[in-house]
Amino acid sequence: MVGVVTVCGAVAGALGALLGIGGGVFLVPFLNAFFGIDFKTAAAISLVTVIATSSAVSAGTTGRQLINLRLGMLLEVASAAGGVAAGVSIAHISDIALERAFAVATAGIALLMLSRLEQRNVIRDPAADPGPLGGRFHDEESGGEVVYQVRRLPIALAASFLAGNVSAAFGIGGGILKVPALNAWCGVPMRAAAATSSLMIGVTAVASVPIQYAHGYVKPPLAAAAVLGVLVGSRAGLWFAGRARAKWLKGLMAAVLVLVSLIYFRRSL
Amino acid sequence: MTDDPLARFEQRLGRLLVSGVVVSAVLLATGLLFWLWRPGAPPTAWLLNAGLIVLMGTPIVRVIVSVAEYVRLREWVFVIVTLIVLTELTVTVGVALTRR
Repeated sequence: MVGVVTVCGAVAGALGALLGIGGGVFLVPFLNAFFGIDFKTAAAISLVTVIATSSAVSAGTTGRQLINLRLGMLLEVASAAGGVAAGVSIAHISDIALERAFAVATAGIALLMLSRLEQRNVIRDPAADPGPLGGRFHDEESGGEVVYQVRRLPIALAASFLAGNVSAAFGIGGGILKVPALNAWCGVPMRAAAATSSLMIGVTAVASVPIQYAHGYVKPPLAAAAVLGVLVGSRAGLWFAGRARAKWLKGLMAAVLVLVSLIYFRRSL
Repeated sequence: MTDDPLARFEQRLGRLLVSGVVVSAVLLATGLLFWLWRPGAPPTAWLLNAGLIVLMGTPIVRVIVSVAEYVRLREWVFVIVTLIVLTELTVTVGVALTRR
């Protein structure tokens, strides 16, 4: 069992690092649907691995200025609030209602992502003003320094709050909601959105996981196995992410969202 | 590179996160080996739980360090933003501790 959990962790970690999400969205169905671990335990274990992915992936990304620290911290206000709120109130909402909502949201985001495959959000003029929350980084795809501005901040905050809710409820990082929202609506390039989200999900998970830990849902040996698997997997994913094209990443993300949506639609029937 | 203080800050955060991950991974790996070898052995539970607590503590330490950094940079808006995040995390840890 421990070996299986480690392998699941490695696969989820690789996919997660590649997409700038925690990978929990893969780990929860693996553990819950395929291996029969009850949902709350699977979600809690997954949430612990989200913290590991966040720290490991962020540490590997620093130095390239892809992580937008100011924007990330501002959005963490909303995502942590969402995590705390859901952590406290989740008992009053039925699982079915939550899973249906999640299925609808992921399907919607997948469509949005596909319709905006060409959007890059970058300004190829290093002298442009990024504004108070924007940023600049060296873009490997176009080979120069690029600038971006953050638009529609309230949408980013709302997406982060929702991501915090979903994170606590489903044991995922919530990057799967934030990254597409930041990219499609808020002017943040894919790589910067993914890097910023990777940093944020650690705090988002910590906003609810200590409560699950106190309740005994985090089974330490399984959590340890999953974390170690995710750490190995995320190294592989990170290596690959540096070489993949943004358009390709978006396509993969959309495919993953469709798959997750279908799984959750089936689960909620 | 522009935005130098923030770039240095980012690198220091990177080192902090690596340290947290390495320490917790070593604790978890050792604990897991003990668990596989002899599940009831005394250090097993301690090692696994210590690893998990270090893991959960790392993002909290990052937020605390960020408060200090924004104070140093005199970015008061972000000092307040970061303190709000820290307060939210404190609420969660408080709830967790009272439910044990």
